Amino acid sequence: MSGFLPLALDALNYTSVLLLVSIGLVIVFGMMQVINLAHGEFFLVGAYAVLVLQGLGVPFWLTLPLAFAAGGLLGLVCDAAILRFIYHRPADTILATWGLSLAIRQAIVIIFGPSSQQVVAPLTEPVNVFGISYSSYRLAIIAIAIAVAAVVFAVLYKTAFGLAARAAMANRPMAQCLGINTRRLDRVTFSLGAALAGFSGAVMAPLMSVDPQMGMGFVLPAFLSILVGGVGSPAGAIWGSVVIGGSTTAAASIWTPVIAQIIVFSLSIAIIRFLPAGLSGLRRK
Amino acid sequence: MSYRLLLTLAIWLVLGLMPLALGSWELAMFGQLLVYGIAAASLAFIWGEVGLVCFGQALFFGTGAYVMALTSKGMIPGIPDSAWLGLVLGIIGGALAAAILGGLLFFGVGLRSAYFGIVTIAAAVIGERLATNWRYIGGFNGLLDVPPLPLPGGTDSADPLMGYLLVLSFAFLSWLLLLALQRAPFGTVLRGIRCDERRMLSLGFSVPVYKLVALAVSGGVAGLAGALFAIQFSFVSPAVIGLALSTEILIWAAVGGKAVLMAAFIGALGVKWVEGALSESIGAYWLLVIGLAFVAVIVIFPHGLLGRLLDTGLPKRLRRP
Repeated sequence: MSGFLPLALDALNYTSVLLLVSIGLVIVFGMMQVINLAHGEFFLVGAYAVLVLQGLGVPFWLTLPLAFAAGGLLGLVCDAAILRFIYHRPADTILATWGLSLAIRQAIVIIFGPSSQQVVAPLTEPVNVFGISYSSYRLAIIAIAIAVAAVVFAVLYKTAFGLAARAAMANRPMAQCLGINTRRLDRVTFSLGAALAGFSGAVMAPLMSVDPQMGMGFVLPAFLSILVGGVGSPAGAIWGSVVIGGSTTAAASIWTPVIAQIIVFSLSIAIIRFLPAGLSGLRRK
Repeated sequence: MSYRLLLTLAIWLVLGLMPLALGSWELAMFGQLLVYGIAAASLAFIWGEVGLVCFGQALFFGTGAYVMALTSKGMIPGIPDSAWLGLVLGIIGGALAAAILGGLLFFGVGLRSAYFGIVTIAAAVIGERLATNWRYIGGFNGLLDVPPLPLPGGTDSADPLMGYLLVLSFAFLSWLLLLALQRAPFGTVLRGIRCDERRMLSLGFSVPVYKLVALAVSGGVAGLAGALFAIQFSFVSPAVIGLALSTEILIWAAVGGKAVLMAAFIGALGVKWVEGALSESIGAYWLLVIGLAFVAVIVIFPHGLLGRLLDTGLPKRLRRP
């Protein structure tokens, strides 16, 4: 089983970043009922932020918080400019964010060109874990992503802000009656989701080739993750990411990445079809 | 007759008189726009009536195009290589693809309409990947040299005038069919489903069956558009089945007006025409402009730019006396 451990680590790596992207989607959907199709472009902006900042000589580890801030700022602008006018029309938010994603992607193509570019990874030395040699940067990503996800969950489940946010997700009119400013929560949630996407883009940038299509490749699995996991609670994002991330990596190692994508997408459509409340809905039955 | 209906009929009249004003090259270009118009109208039918936001319309369009190309090139074993048969099979193929998707999604536990959009995106990606990686149907390069449709009188659809008239008559027929369905009691049930699905269920309507039939009709019309696309361009490639085209169809329908067939139809013609006119001068900025324009239309004009202008209203039996 010498091939198993690197595979498991690859799966864990993909899953943990997928989780970061999915958390952003699930809290935005839970809070605002907005299916944010521009999420992949926030991811993209994070990755290009690293590219630009590295070009300016900023050390890599410093670019991560800056990419987080860039995503958050962009999210704030999008909410202020577009979403606040239409958040009471959920079907239209899908389309508006879709148009937004087209525009942002094309803006990036215009500024940086359509070709892919490389970002230098900060940790290039492989390390020995459990007797195998594995990329230290990937290990660092796993640690960072899990830590950030843990912080987000701690905020959601342990703080007063998180309590208010979860109350608004569970029953919005009731939360409003209790004096919770749900509009402000919307804004904070949306920019937090965007910031998480930007951060994920930044940590993934050294591993992927940075090109204008990379966001779409990440956001669709993330969407399927939250639907598979169940959009009812943020914790559903964990189950979904594990299923999608794990099965994608496993299938890609047996066949090709393209076949893996076809299989995993079909599989998730089947799961969504038979379990509309997702895997986390199973527990409540 | 209301002025809106007059306007709609006037548009058809102008489209019918186009061959008198345009040269053969412009006519061929305009015929291609009509194909996109049919696709947009097919989307407007399920989007406007049933409220299903389908990101996979190109899946049906592309199925029609591929079936047409495969049949007329004689590549389906056991089926003779006839272009007209290909057109019929293309329509059936599009309808079947839609029926399969609808059958998977509408029955049983059922899917909330917001999830429907996401699932159709995934389905469109699957379709594109399959078409790109399936060697027999041409893979990445697609299928070349799709023969034109033979027409009575010894001509065929490669002739600009005949090609244009062919597409125009199919566009008119699909519009009539969809409009008739919209105005029939069937359409009333669909609007009921859009407004309150649960209430329609309680009233005894089999909501999944109605949705399935509506999606299959829409898929069939999109398949027809795809088949016409294949004979006009005489090639098909995975681009006709993927997400990019689905997105374009959505934008056309939204910009024109999703609830009105004619508005969506003209939306496609208009957007595609502007794209053609501007693509030389603004090039890469086009996608940026159309993306932002799309957002602006969604936020400011939920009925689309032409939705109110071309809305012929409810059938007489549903109007208040």
